[in-house]
Amino acid sequence: MRGSINRPPTPDAEDDQIQEKQLTFQEIIDIKLIESGEKERLKELLRERLIECGWRDEMKALCRAFAQKKGRDNVTLDDLVQLLTPKGRASVPDSVKAELLQRIRSFLASAAI
Amino acid sequence: MTRRNNPPYTNPKPCEHLSDYKLKHGFNGYKSLQKFIRTTPNGRTSLENPNTKVPTCDSCNGYRGRFYFCLVCSSISCSDHVLFHNQSRNGHDIAVDVERAELFCIVCRDQVYDPDFDKAVMSKHRIDMPNVESDGKSIGERLCKRKKSGSGFGVVDQMRDLKGPKESALMRDQRAKSCYPLGLRGLNNLGNTCFMNSVLQAMLHAPPLRSYFLTNQHNRETCRKRSVDRLCLPCDIDGIFSAVFSGDRPPYSPAQFLYSWWQHSANLASYEQQDAHEFFISLLDGIHEKEGKIRNRNRENGDCQCIAHRGFSGLLRSDVTCMTCGFTSTTYDPYVDISLNLDTSNYSMTDVAKKPIKPNESSSISTLLGCLDLFTRPEKLGSDQKLYCQNCQERQDSSKQMSIRRLPLVLCLHIKRFEHSLISKMSRKIDRYLHFPFSLDMTPYLSSSIVRNRFGNRIFAFEGDESDISTEFEILAVVTHSGTLESGHYVTYLRLRNQWYKCDDAWITEVDEEIVRASQCYMMFYVQKMLYHKADENMSHLTTSSKEEALHRVAGFS
Repeated sequence: MRGSINRPPTPDAEDDQIQEKQLTFQEIIDIKLIESGEKERLKELLRERLIECGWRDEMKALCRAFAQKKGRDNVTLDDLVQLLTPKGRASVPDSVKAELLQRIRSFLASAAI
Repeated sequence: MTRRNNPPYTNPKPCEHLSDYKLKHGFNGYKSLQKFIRTTPNGRTSLENPNTKVPTCDSCNGYRGRFYFCLVCSSISCSDHVLFHNQSRNGHDIAVDVERAELFCIVCRDQVYDPDFDKAVMSKHRIDMPNVESDGKSIGERLCKRKKSGSGFGVVDQMRDLKGPKESALMRDQRAKSCYPLGLRGLNNLGNTCFMNSVLQAMLHAPPLRSYFLTNQHNRETCRKRSVDRLCLPCDIDGIFSAVFSGDRPPYSPAQFLYSWWQHSANLASYEQQDAHEFFISLLDGIHEKEGKIRNRNRENGDCQCIAHRGFSGLLRSDVTCMTCGFTSTTYDPYVDISLNLDTSNYSMTDVAKKPIKPNESSSISTLLGCLDLFTRPEKLGSDQKLYCQNCQERQDSSKQMSIRRLPLVLCLHIKRFEHSLISKMSRKIDRYLHFPFSLDMTPYLSSSIVRNRFGNRIFAFEGDESDISTEFEILAVVTHSGTLESGHYVTYLRLRNQWYKCDDAWITEVDEEIVRASQCYMMFYVQKMLYHKADENMSHLTTSSKEEALHRVAGFS
């Protein structure tokens, strides 16, 4: 087993400067979210909400309709991603967006960024 | 005789790159992957290195997007650089999507499937694989007990019985109805007994029950000789069958049956209106009581062979999952009907493919399929309902999911059209329209489908894949209710030989299917497709032979 999966954790800020990579504010938040496990929790929450409101079933139905039209063996992952992304993003309920936003705000406050 | 009517899962063939990989590396990659497989209690699988929280791309150090773990060299690439990784190394074609633990062929740029891979993944999930027989050990109490009393319609109704019919009118009815199929006969209302009449009409045409009684498998003479106990519901049911299928057309009064049923269900014996669903359950119970003793004499274990169970009985599966460790405990419970809550979600499935729908809009129709979806959806049990987990050895938050392990010949679906308000402490009826199909495929609600979907559609043989079960059903009868909880009326719509008949106590009329579709369904009887069509054939034989007899009768009347 190659060592790549056993890489050390995300490099420190000093290393960044050596590598000439500046982390943007957004990237810092992102990394903090992942490292603290909050991103995983948010994803889980999002998944739950999207299932509850029927969003996932809608996406499934879209895929099914597409596969039926194009033929089951002619559908690739990229096709589906292209098909679902615009409609999926547009149909996330506002209440779900609001809830997640609130969670992120709380996280930022508690992480003292 | 095991014809597969619906092959639910045909494994996708591997692409050439996957085949080559398997030939060259066998299971090595899968085995070494095991220590990175992480499972969640709700069935998701992902790859995770405990040392590095943030997977980053070996080529660009990026940490966003999809990541692919190469099965040959274990390097991680993001979706932008995975092709580069493949092109710069010979044979590094197969990778694993880190977030989903799914196989991906870099060359084909698409997902691929391998039962061996899924097996390796599934081995990390804590699935309980119990026997089909009821497992006494479960996480806490069984939660799928249905409330049998006090949950239906039941108070005084206006009397709807036939008082002093005019003979000439009756005669006209007879002549008109003489071309109706055999077995169609009005049932007089004996004082708020529409709840009984409506269910009886459905039972009179349920194929297993109908053949059983029409072939005299419950012989009244032998029964009388055999048992001291005068009370025998099957005998009285047999009486109704004889009367209804005799060819006589004037409405029949099932008084003897009513009297016997009162004796059997003493708590429901009155002239008050009762709930049709409760009656249905007590009817099957009455048949089982008598028939069960006779039929099950020689068998100690196994399923009851009485006609009530042979026709209507199935098996439900209940999975309770600990949300902390993922341990799932499974129990099986028999059922003779399935009670469904009305699906009141905010979307319409029919429009999805045509235009974008915002789930917030309440442009919605409740559908039977929606109710079945709701029934089989995982339900998070409240924190006040923590159940004891065998694995964690303490009470934990749990999730419960129902599915159907075995389907009956006749599937009775009961819609719970009442809600109880904890605030006002009152129950009220839900009149919401429910759309239901005439042809129903139960495949998505089978245990194999539900459990399989929980783990993301892995190619994995679940114990008891019901490949032999016929899942296609045709509607036979719809029992409808109109009115309130306190006061209402039941009417049954029967479909015989592709024609719908409205059975409103003593009055039987032909109706168009639109009327049926628009009706407010309360109980629906679906029959297995093969059985339904076979029964129709048998009916046509009966009709032609007795038609002449019926006409002759009418002619001789004057």
